[in-house]
Amino acid sequence: MAELKNLFDGLSLDYLAACDYAKTGQSLLAFVPAGTLVAAAKRLLADGWHLEDIGALDCVEGYVVSYHFAHYERPGRVTVRALAAHDKPELPSIAGVYGGAEWHEREVRDFHGVVFAGNPNFVPLLLDPDMAECFPLRKDEKTRMKAREILEAGEALFVRPSFTLMTPDAPAGGDAAAAKA
Amino acid sequence: MTRNADMEQVAGDFYAENFAKDASEGSLILNLGPQHPSTHGVLRVLVELDGEYVLRAEPVIGYLHRMHEKMAEVKTAAQYIPNMGRVDYGHAIAWNWAFVGAVERLAGIEVPPRAEYVRVITCELNRIASHLLWWGAYLLDLGAFTPIMYAFDDREKILDILQSPTGARLTFSYFRIGGVARDLDEDCVKAIREFIPWMRSRLPMYKEFVSDNIILRRRIEGVGVFEPDLCRRYGATGPVSRGSGLAYDVRRDEPYSVYPKLDFVVPTSDLMDARGRYDVRMEEMAQSLNIIESCLDQMPEGDTLVKGAPKPSWKVPKGETYFAVEGGRGKIGVHLVSDGGKNMYRVKLRSPSYSNLSLFAEASRGTLLADAVAILGSLDLIIPEIDR
Repeated sequence: MAELKNLFDGLSLDYLAACDYAKTGQSLLAFVPAGTLVAAAKRLLADGWHLEDIGALDCVEGYVVSYHFAHYERPGRVTVRALAAHDKPELPSIAGVYGGAEWHEREVRDFHGVVFAGNPNFVPLLLDPDMAECFPLRKDEKTRMKAREILEAGEALFVRPSFTLMTPDAPAGGDAAAAKA
Repeated sequence: MTRNADMEQVAGDFYAENFAKDASEGSLILNLGPQHPSTHGVLRVLVELDGEYVLRAEPVIGYLHRMHEKMAEVKTAAQYIPNMGRVDYGHAIAWNWAFVGAVERLAGIEVPPRAEYVRVITCELNRIASHLLWWGAYLLDLGAFTPIMYAFDDREKILDILQSPTGARLTFSYFRIGGVARDLDEDCVKAIREFIPWMRSRLPMYKEFVSDNIILRRRIEGVGVFEPDLCRRYGATGPVSRGSGLAYDVRRDEPYSVYPKLDFVVPTSDLMDARGRYDVRMEEMAQSLNIIESCLDQMPEGDTLVKGAPKPSWKVPKGETYFAVEGGRGKIGVHLVSDGGKNMYRVKLRSPSYSNLSLFAEASRGTLLADAVAILGSLDLIIPEIDR
């Protein structure tokens, strides 16, 4: 673990936390700004991690896109998360680093409508192209939960002062703009 | 659609047109599937050919997409278990396990010791059935008709055994949150005890008559070499990555249940080709038999469902967790997020065939078309598991 928490050293992060693997199935959790995603993916690949899956979660603050990584030789799971805004959900593609991300990103677009800029073949994957704009896993405003209420916060190792998505004592009832302010 | 790609108009649907726009001059674009016999169901692969050689390939999936992840939003956890039996008909019990395991991890539910052993026994029996299905069907792809008759003979015995505790033969919904639906009775244990030596007597015969057969060897040796780096970039797991020398098995590396107490080897092959993946699966059947045997020896008496097990209306506590198990095709992962409500907030299913197939576009480049079919079969694809 001492080594793992230094995995993203030198990269611009929003949040870094150690998680209890036995309970959450995750060892390290990192929220990264969109601009750091590709660099984080490169770091993970260089360290031998493979991509397990990419999935989005519709929260009050936006779409929380989770990238799960595991290692063939070492135990543990690294979760990298990035937030895509509801009004313009766009993140950079990591398919140039992890070829397998191409399909996962297309699936996230099918289900949640998050656009991955730079994906080499960004067409619908699982949904019929004729009905690919229905985004079945988007939630309506009434059912959306705040990210901090449902997602694992872990034991924070680093929090960027302006980042309040996971801060447990942040004032309740704020919208995305207030949370970011 | 079989047309010359440099013709001005390419007939075909959205995917064919999307694929054809990058075609080189004089090449031929061909659809393999979705009704092709070697695709076992409804996988479609678009290939661009130069003579017999594959220039490019693109799997087109989604024909069996049922949106299991959406169904999770309108069901309670207990109601969702039958869905898991239908994601992968080959190894349905592993999917049962991945989901109930995630719920148990999040809710902190302990499973009684006997139930853990019953889970391992049924899961491993199902794994052998899954590998037998692959073995018979793969050889059928490669032109050998008889092996599937033998494979199905053995597989029938397993399905007969599993039928008594589970009440099903294919789409098992056997696991419960906190245990399993029914204990293995005496007759069932006896039948499993009898099956082990039977299957052990069959495996050397399969090696002698099939695995060492020169025609098979020429079809699969040196075909579809996957370097470990390719596996890593595409997230390949299971026999696909183990066939490339990566000794990664969730049962060993992210241990769950009683696997740490059981003595088994994680077979690997350094060949990295279709032969390597073939050898790994054949050896895994022998290892699963060892696991089942030691489980039968160690299994304690007792309950197979925890006292006060969740009722169908039970709500999953708030929070998130990720749980993975080793299925017949690789790592099955469930990312479960609950808001504490009646239904689950989000269930993300990680399907091993999906990741394993995603490397095909890169791995098939430059191979003969006939070899591409041999590579597809060596991935052991279950289409409903890819599409979910």
